[in-house]
Amino acid sequence: MTTPIITPPRAAGRVDVADARRRFHPWRLVVGVLLAVIVLQLAIFFITNPRFEWPVVAEYLFNPSVLLGLLTSIMLTIVGMVFGSLLGTVLAAGQLTEFAPLRWASIVFVAVFRGVPPLVQLIFWYNLAYVLPRIAVGVPFGPELFAWPTNDIITPLTAAIIGLSLHEAAYMAEIIRAGILSVDQGQRDASKALGFSRWHSFSRVILPQAMRVIIPPTGSQVIALLKGTSLVSVIAMGDLLHSVQVIYNRTYEVVPMLLVAVIWYLVVVTLLTIVQRRVERHFSRGLSSTSLTRRTVQKLEVTQ
Amino acid sequence: MNDHVKTPVLEVIGLRKSFGDNMALGGVDLRVEESEVVAILGPSGSGKSTLVRCIDQLEPIDGGAMYLDGRLLGFESHRDHLRPMTDADIQQQRRRMGMVFQQFNLFPHWTVLRNITEAPIKVHGERPEAARARGLELLDRVGLADKASAHPRQLSGGQQQRVAIARAVAANPRILLFDEPTSSLDPELVDEVLQVMKDLATSGMTMVVVTHELAFARSVADRCVFMAEGLVIEDRPAREFFTSPRSTRLQAFLTRNESRAEADL
Repeated sequence: MTTPIITPPRAAGRVDVADARRRFHPWRLVVGVLLAVIVLQLAIFFITNPRFEWPVVAEYLFNPSVLLGLLTSIMLTIVGMVFGSLLGTVLAAGQLTEFAPLRWASIVFVAVFRGVPPLVQLIFWYNLAYVLPRIAVGVPFGPELFAWPTNDIITPLTAAIIGLSLHEAAYMAEIIRAGILSVDQGQRDASKALGFSRWHSFSRVILPQAMRVIIPPTGSQVIALLKGTSLVSVIAMGDLLHSVQVIYNRTYEVVPMLLVAVIWYLVVVTLLTIVQRRVERHFSRGLSSTSLTRRTVQKLEVTQ
Repeated sequence: MNDHVKTPVLEVIGLRKSFGDNMALGGVDLRVEESEVVAILGPSGSGKSTLVRCIDQLEPIDGGAMYLDGRLLGFESHRDHLRPMTDADIQQQRRRMGMVFQQFNLFPHWTVLRNITEAPIKVHGERPEAARARGLELLDRVGLADKASAHPRQLSGGQQQRVAIARAVAANPRILLFDEPTSSLDPELVDEVLQVMKDLATSGMTMVVVTHELAFARSVADRCVFMAEGLVIEDRPAREFFTSPRSTRLQAFLTRNESRAEADL
């Protein structure tokens, strides 16, 4: 059942498509109305349901122990990301090296730490003293130089940092490796031919171009890591989730306290997303034609 | 070393190179004297690109030897045997050669001027102002003085290749290697690049040019080398090369390509 297509007769006068009216899309109307109904329902549910206890949410939103928990989560994200990226870069380079033993070691490391769930890792590192009561530095199979009881070193904080950093390093290694491989081989040839050292070629030619590919997934990794820090609450590390748990264990106001945590997670993630967009734009410099045109036009305007 | 025999700038002896089971070079000899322009011609797959990539040490070689100004490339004596040089020493040797690629391989995240000055400043330790002044002078020589602050993407293929040539010349190399410099250009952009190369040749630059441009080889090159299946078939002064080819393969190659060149006109 198709409607016949009618061409207006020439005799009726001059045809100009600029005079056309909008076409009516009935299904768009249906979906639009449905969405509006759902949004309205949700809003009424959140506002009128007394169990959300919004006054309690407001009371605890800026509570010092909640803010301290938020700060701890952000700190863990930053530390995990910094260590993860550094180790990840080394692992990525290791996976791409010609020297086979180093390559295999890097590949196995990445496979293990990508494969073990971060929650399992955190619990394992926290209980490291069970398999390794003492941590010692010394000559392999020879005398010890320094030794510490493991329980003095492994606190919730160090266990959290080790677990999150190693997990993150494995993911960052894959992201950075993909970025490096995305750079055209000709770039490597050209920097070799000009006599650049390996480091100069990697840091000035390859990495800046790889950044275009590395940045978007890294942004998602930062966001995933921020949410992932909530796992450290199981080893009694005082992150955002743990700080609201401590409060609701006392007051039994579980849902409003979780809402407090949710609001803060959403605020930080939104801010991170904005930063991520900016950074992405910065690193596409010289590589996408649109941003180039824009900057050239600006430059021309300045010179005139 | 005999004083009365001039050391060639580049000497390649019995160079062998395979990619897996695929033989790319089966014992190639090549000699390039000071200020000489040598064109390397041959059908695709004959090993000409591999040859220049091996000379610039972008590909590891399997056998034979290469000398630049009498110094062995890539290897050194150690006690009673040869061993590969360190990366740093190989980089040192590469800095004495310039390479121009088929795909230009300019650095897209830098301006045209930085593409040219990066090696002189960061590798050869020249003063930035001096390097920039010379970079601008080179850009002027290749007719792109107004593009110094442009990015490579904003240039046509011919302009990019002229920048790439300026970049290769900037470090004052002993020899310039060209790997099919005009093969990825639109036909109307070929001449501007060939003109720049011709000017360089006239100025006395020592050059090895892998090319499909027979007319360029005939008018600019001092010697022409014809390669097929990883071997040098003929190596003769340019005039004889075109007027009296000895091997039937070169005769066939010239007939095929000259008739195509005429068809283009």
